[in-house]
Amino acid sequence: MLQHHRSPHSPLPRTVILGAGGFLSPVLQRNLQAHGATMMALGRSTIDLTKPGASAELAAHIQPDDAVVMAAGLTPDKGKDTATLMANLRMAEAVALALQHSRPAHFLYISSDAVYDARWSSLLNEESACEPSDLYALMHVAREKILGQACQQARIPFAIVRPCAIYGPGDTHNSYGPNRFLRSALNSRTIALFGAGQERRHHVFVDDVAELVRQCIGHASTGVINAVTGHAASFGEVAEMIAALAADNIMIDHLPQSAPVTHRHFDTRALALAFPSLQATELADGLRQSYAALQPASGLAALSSASPASQKPATKKEEAVCP
Amino acid sequence: MNKQTIGFAGLSHLGIIYSAASAARGFSVVAFDPRTDLTADLAHGRFPVAEPGLDDLYREHSARLTYTSDASRLAHCQLVFVALDVTTNDSNQSDLGPLEKLLAEVTPQLAHGATLVIMSQLPPGYSRKLSAKLADNKLRDNQLFYQVETLVFGNAVDRAVHPERIIIGSDKVGADKVGSDKTGSDKPGEALPAHYAAYLKAFECPTVLMRYESAELCKIAINCFLVSSIATSNTLAEVCERIGADWREIVPALRLDQRIGTKAYLTPGLGIAGGNLERDLVTVQRLAEENGCDASVVTAWQRNSMYRKDWVLGRLFASGLLQNTEQTRIGVWGLAYKQDTHSTKNSPSLALLRALNAYSCQAYDPVAKIDAGQFPHVRVCDAAEEAAQDSDVLLVMTPWREFASAPLERLLPRMRGRKVIDPYGVLAEARCRQLGYQYERLGA
Repeated sequence: MLQHHRSPHSPLPRTVILGAGGFLSPVLQRNLQAHGATMMALGRSTIDLTKPGASAELAAHIQPDDAVVMAAGLTPDKGKDTATLMANLRMAEAVALALQHSRPAHFLYISSDAVYDARWSSLLNEESACEPSDLYALMHVAREKILGQACQQARIPFAIVRPCAIYGPGDTHNSYGPNRFLRSALNSRTIALFGAGQERRHHVFVDDVAELVRQCIGHASTGVINAVTGHAASFGEVAEMIAALAADNIMIDHLPQSAPVTHRHFDTRALALAFPSLQATELADGLRQSYAALQPASGLAALSSASPASQKPATKKEEAVCP
Repeated sequence: MNKQTIGFAGLSHLGIIYSAASAARGFSVVAFDPRTDLTADLAHGRFPVAEPGLDDLYREHSARLTYTSDASRLAHCQLVFVALDVTTNDSNQSDLGPLEKLLAEVTPQLAHGATLVIMSQLPPGYSRKLSAKLADNKLRDNQLFYQVETLVFGNAVDRAVHPERIIIGSDKVGADKVGSDKTGSDKPGEALPAHYAAYLKAFECPTVLMRYESAELCKIAINCFLVSSIATSNTLAEVCERIGADWREIVPALRLDQRIGTKAYLTPGLGIAGGNLERDLVTVQRLAEENGCDASVVTAWQRNSMYRKDWVLGRLFASGLLQNTEQTRIGVWGLAYKQDTHSTKNSPSLALLRALNAYSCQAYDPVAKIDAGQFPHVRVCDAAEEAAQDSDVLLVMTPWREFASAPLERLLPRMRGRKVIDPYGVLAEARCRQLGYQYERLGA
């Protein structure tokens, strides 16, 4: 549950975004810019948060009135092993030290819905127990604790946003879901589903996550909020929608179901209470925008042929300072 | 007419209703409360609570009712009931302070051999401690009983005058005397003083006698069973909403099952409210925690209640009607937590209005009032029509009968929008749809 500590009519603070090279950062930058905010987006080329001395470097960039958003991290497609976990924790350690030194006005951590284990509840919410089922989920839980403790000690208002599966134009990942389906539909005219693709997920459009983060900054919100849509669609439904977007026939392949069918449904009450005017992008609209962005004329088509490991974000700039 | 004069102390909802019910059963009643303005109002038939039938009851039996702020008047009664409602805080925990203050005022007035009966909502263990305390205070000649109240807001008068059974806790009962008196005879009454047994007999219903702790927990047990029915109905009603079933079609079949019953709580709602049920759940959790019992089902009931309380907000959120903070106008019918009561304790309507504090709201309730200072964004209306006027959506948050008979053909066109959210299904659904309105209710 979130608590707001500032009138939404107040001017937005300058925002420092960690993870400039990620999927969310460019969209968040555009959103903040559209609302008249100033910002600084820091990527690995400026500060490698896994390296010694990173905390001091970072602290030097943060001013007392800033809001800081941490969207930096190595996602599962970069590795699911212990080394990746430890690298991610080193990043959190560096940020925690920097926060304690620089004491910004607000800190917001972009976590993940992976922290919940859906086996124990048919409807998850912000109060559901965090029960990490893999190292990636454990990483987010540990980071939440590390950063939360740092903020508590330094008395920095702290918020956690836990998005479900994010998709949209500029997606740098190739996880099972809309982004992979869109690329394979364009490249090979096929979409590969596990089994019948029954598993239901909240597929959250990246612009909606950026808007939620901006609203949290605007309200100086503290607490935890899940970035969810209110509707869980099955992978099969997503595949059908994407197939319908393509003019050519798209073949939907059904691979053997390798794992038990699980669903992840989320309760939107906390979101409705915190930001009643927020409106999630309809899945069909979000997929349409994502599909359009992957067309050759969009400039993002290069992504469609890139292998996951070599993919780069839509913007090559890893550091951006916007007015 | 019964010649015995019965004393009542503590004139909140419980004391007002039971003192009047006792008069209706033919007893002369002295009803005491230290608040002089309250007793003055009561003496003129002005009640601070709204209950169907209460005004008529008073009118018919006022000759036997004496309201007073003079505690010494209780010294003439051989049977004195303490019936002050125990209020709860925001965490649904009891505040026993006012009851203890009242007891300190009443007990010194008790006549030799008089019987003291507590009807206030007590946590298990309280009666025995109080009994010991009274003995320490040289009131050994005064027996203490705990009589379970099972009133229902909005139906309190009928339940008080015509109880289905009376449950009594005592320290004088052993295992051999515990049981039910289904015939109205005085078999369990052997454990009761004659004047108390005579009083109970006037209500013409079975008496169930048990030890203090059992009676205290019995009240909580009743409420737990009610909550379990509510939570089950709410859960299945939501499943209905998702799979195209209609809970209203299922309910008659359930009522015909004798294991469930014709009067079971099967109507889906917006979570539990009113305070009493919530208090008892908190008490069970405390007892379970102190004694190492598994009460996870109680936690599940509470979560379900919280979840359902926001059902209307969820529908509004999903509809997109809340996108425009400045221009959206919301009409609300009903503020009370249920029909036929003034109470707004834990009311879903008020919870919703708090959540909609960024929007312009206009609300009407036939009885319940709200503190304008806490709801500056809400304009309280004098009529249902006014609350519907120019609204983008109409929310029927309390199932008052008045709303069921509202002339939809005249009222709905006054709205600016065409959406009606009527969780309890008070309005004529088919008519709303015929008139071109989007209509939503629980369970379908």
